[in-house]
Amino acid sequence: MKGVYDCEVVAQSEVAPGVGRTLVACPEIARQAQPGQFVNVRVGHTTDPLLRRPFSVHAAYPTEGVFSLLYVIVGRGTELLRKFQPGEKISMVGPLGRPFDLGDSPDAEHLIVAGGCGAAPLHFLCDVLCAKWGCERITVLAGAQHRDALLCEAEFRAHGVSVGASTDDGSYGHKGLVTDLLRDHLALYNPSDTRLRVYSCGPHSMMQEVARICADAGVRECQVSLENNMACGFGVCTGCVQKIRGAAKGDNSGRDWHHERVCVDGPVFNAEDIIWE
Amino acid sequence: MGVNRLDLSTTIGNIRMKNPVTVASGTFAYGQEMSEFYDLSRLGAIVTKGTSLKPWPGNDYPRTVETSSGMLNAIGLQNDGLDALINEKIPFLRNFDVPVIVNVVGHTVEEYAEIAAWLDNVDGVAGIEINISCPNVKQGCLAFGTTPEGTAEVVSAVRARTSLTIITKLSPNVGSVIQIAKAAVDAGSDAISLVNTFLGTAIDPWKRKFRLSNVTGGLSGPAIKPIALRMVYEVAQAVDVPIVGMGGIMTAMDAVEFLLAGADAVSIGTANFVNPMAAVEIIDGIEEYLQSMGFGSAREIVGTVAES
Repeated sequence: MKGVYDCEVVAQSEVAPGVGRTLVACPEIARQAQPGQFVNVRVGHTTDPLLRRPFSVHAAYPTEGVFSLLYVIVGRGTELLRKFQPGEKISMVGPLGRPFDLGDSPDAEHLIVAGGCGAAPLHFLCDVLCAKWGCERITVLAGAQHRDALLCEAEFRAHGVSVGASTDDGSYGHKGLVTDLLRDHLALYNPSDTRLRVYSCGPHSMMQEVARICADAGVRECQVSLENNMACGFGVCTGCVQKIRGAAKGDNSGRDWHHERVCVDGPVFNAEDIIWE
Repeated sequence: MGVNRLDLSTTIGNIRMKNPVTVASGTFAYGQEMSEFYDLSRLGAIVTKGTSLKPWPGNDYPRTVETSSGMLNAIGLQNDGLDALINEKIPFLRNFDVPVIVNVVGHTVEEYAEIAAWLDNVDGVAGIEINISCPNVKQGCLAFGTTPEGTAEVVSAVRARTSLTIITKLSPNVGSVIQIAKAAVDAGSDAISLVNTFLGTAIDPWKRKFRLSNVTGGLSGPAIKPIALRMVYEVAQAVDVPIVGMGGIMTAMDAVEFLLAGADAVSIGTANFVNPMAAVEIIDGIEEYLQSMGFGSAREIVGTVAES
């Protein structure tokens, strides 16, 4: 059974200017969560704001029964979330959604491409990949507008994975886009090397570019995690849809695409299936 | 156990509900996802997502936007079509002890009638809810529900092809909802459900763009409750068939208000999104209310609101 959990907020911190981290106690979610999954959070106590807000899991500690959310404070929902005090209860539904597929090969090369707060679920992914197969064959490329918005970079480095960073304004790392780093990195690979797995989360236009670069380079496995607006978060409202290649089952109208729900069919999709717009 | 159990049951046409709580079409899909939260047999009935003859892809994203104490949606009735309903959705729902009402949508009168005829022979379907009130599809649907003549045409065509209980779901986006309700009943509808969503829109002032790809959408949630409640009250006064009331019900007390206004049953809609456990919590809450007020059944409070 899925659950609606009244979780206790354990700690609140601002890890960088305008970036909040909320640590939450919930053994069920902490135990079940997989990288790429999210929780749907009731940030208010009244009917306004009415709907829950989805946040991807940034780290999970199953033995301690806690997990964390990492988010840029951009609007009403994130403002309310960061005001919860340690000890207060917060209602969460989760873990939700289709997680990243980590593959089953111990000698795969893992390339993580993060943009802005898209680093949050990829941090969790990196944790799990490291624990599973060691950190040697993991590379992280992280980009942001400026140094303060470059999330999880220190944590990635602490794992000992190879890290490349970029900022739009050049305040840290490569001056430019993370997709520049991706292009350079892929040039090092033989396109026929089927061991390469790419995972990405970030702004829509960035992931679209990641998908294009990977397709051009012949990368077989490129997964992206989308962030569409959701009403329910668990598949019943059909609000958060993404256009996906191929006719829907039973649709013989000639339409060569169909809608999938980001909340349950995603948020992680194979990049090649997405019709980018 | 010596304690008299409250009688929560009610009857809508030939559908016997163990309690007066069902779910609004389009907020519960076909029950599969919700069954991961609780046993669907707890519900009085399930109303499915609007289903068309062939699969419909629905509108483009973005389809939903939050508003003050409410939300707009313009899903556009995306659904997998009648074959998937019969071959996949209904067989799943047969696992539960709960009547299933299929919400039916179409572009033409003939489509409504054809779906009704197919459903007539499907084991596990207890009734049909005729959806002539969705504001988000360009052709059909609400086009029928805005006039008494259009309403009567669809309802009689469906009536002619099925012996299942027919509930007609009305739009609030009309001049006189009472006239539409009467037309539906005269054409053979066994019950009336109302309200569907209120037509509205939202604009992003920074991008200077509409927030929905469809421009307009249907408003639901607690923001619409007072208007929905008034309409349920008016229709309950005007027709003699059972009423399924809905519109912004979030709590058991909201549901009780609709019962007092004259609804025989209530539907939980947007609340399912906010709290997946809403429907079962509301069932428990209605029972507690009846108990604390000394009533023996849910039926005895229906339509008993008095002037103050």
